[in-house]
Amino acid sequence: MPHLSLSNPILAQLNSGVLVIDDEYRIRYLNAFVERHANLALSDVIGQSIFNVFKDLPEAWLKRKLMSVLDLQSPAFSSWEQRQYIFKLPHLRPITSSSQYMAQNCTMMPLHTDKTEHQLICILIEDATDAFVYQQHLSRTLVELEKANRQDGLTKVLNRRYWEEQLKQELHRARRYQHSLSLILFDLDKFKDLNDKYGHLGGDFVLVELSSFISSLLRDSDLLGRYGGEEFGIILPETGLQGAVDVAERIRQAVADYPMLFNQQTIRATLSIGVAELDIKQHFLHEDVIRCADMALYNAKRTGRNRVCSFQAGNTEYHKKVN
Amino acid sequence: MSPLGFSIEQRDCLQEIINVAMGLASDKLARFLNTFVHLQVPSIALVGATAIPDEFEHRYQDAEATLVSQGFFGNEGVRGEAIVLYQMDNAHRISALLGYEPGDVSEIEMLTDISSILTTTFLNGLAAQIENSLSYSAPRVLSSRHSNVADVLKATSFHWEHALKVDISYQLIDHSFNCDMILLIPGEAVSNIKTILDRILEAY
Repeated sequence: MPHLSLSNPILAQLNSGVLVIDDEYRIRYLNAFVERHANLALSDVIGQSIFNVFKDLPEAWLKRKLMSVLDLQSPAFSSWEQRQYIFKLPHLRPITSSSQYMAQNCTMMPLHTDKTEHQLICILIEDATDAFVYQQHLSRTLVELEKANRQDGLTKVLNRRYWEEQLKQELHRARRYQHSLSLILFDLDKFKDLNDKYGHLGGDFVLVELSSFISSLLRDSDLLGRYGGEEFGIILPETGLQGAVDVAERIRQAVADYPMLFNQQTIRATLSIGVAELDIKQHFLHEDVIRCADMALYNAKRTGRNRVCSFQAGNTEYHKKVN
Repeated sequence: MSPLGFSIEQRDCLQEIINVAMGLASDKLARFLNTFVHLQVPSIALVGATAIPDEFEHRYQDAEATLVSQGFFGNEGVRGEAIVLYQMDNAHRISALLGYEPGDVSEIEMLTDISSILTTTFLNGLAAQIENSLSYSAPRVLSSRHSNVADVLKATSFHWEHALKVDISYQLIDHSFNCDMILLIPGEAVSNIKTILDRILEAY
């Protein structure tokens, strides 16, 4: 029949691998795609066990798949997303792809023919390297995107939205496990003067420099975020008021002693710092803790700057913001 | 007439074919898994595909669930998409069922394996009775632990007009294991199935 004679040239041109084995794993057929990629000739390997010809096959795993094909007379599948390849073959994009071997989607199908007493299985190998490469790009982009989504663009500390989200979660955790939790809010003293004197680039430089310096003073579990302009917040999980005041004092001192070199000029900056501890009887929302730390911060400003004030419950002597 | 214009005879015939297909599938599975498989008579319902998300929202509301989809197509215009839904509580039982060692394969591969086995053994049995044969696309996980079942179903069933809902409950001697199977079928395939059912009814 004329259309049957077309099968062989089609199989030879096919850009997918076709491999036929019998129920004793002996190779009965493979097409040019497999011959060329694996650098072998059908005439050399016919009748040999597939596990001898392809040494790197995951034997136990593949045998279980093949057994299900024969027992159930239904197809089995393998996706590159779970197992990058079954047959270790080079691919056609060695330069543009980061992976060394062809990513593959494989289908194992029962093959019905009346010419042989052995049961046959056809293994179809499709090159999924393109999808694999796109997926890798996508994953990398997603990681970067997620990072960008929680970072402040200038200072690279947490941005306000993400930082507040973290505060809500920490509050929830502290409440559930009866842990203490403290909050530090700090503000650069006379930032406006600094901008006037060194220009906005100088002001930005100070924000970036101090963010990274203060980050280096914190524990891994502490969360530093930019709350706005020159105002920052630090969430201190499992820390009581006294512990938080100690941390704040250490930061205040270290920043005051930290000279920053900008355009051959040394800039010095000081911080006013407010500290508050979560009071689970009084604070229901994360805004409540922020409000208390904010009041302490204003107090630090009012009483002379470059100092740490903590919020004491019942103390109503807090004043409106001064610069 | 039942919904979608199936006559009572057509419906009964379909139920009978599905019962037999399920019986064949469980017999194959029992041999493959070397354990006794007890199978309840599957209940079937034909519904509009748009009704599917709401039907399953309630059942999988509080549980982590996974959906695995597999397309199928055969002769005489029979085609559609089979979706198997699992509660994730079942996942560790599935691995024991298939004889995997812990850490042997990923959870996703395990789920696509068992789904493919359930779907293809069942549909092969169905196809054999209507003198058809089916090809299958690779199984694909539609949702992970964190996505909402109803939302995923909405996105999927949107493309289809009708759905044949088949409740399957497998019980094995050492494990009890439940899942749902939905066969989503486009409108013209439903008419093709009706034609096939009529031919079978005439033969009796």
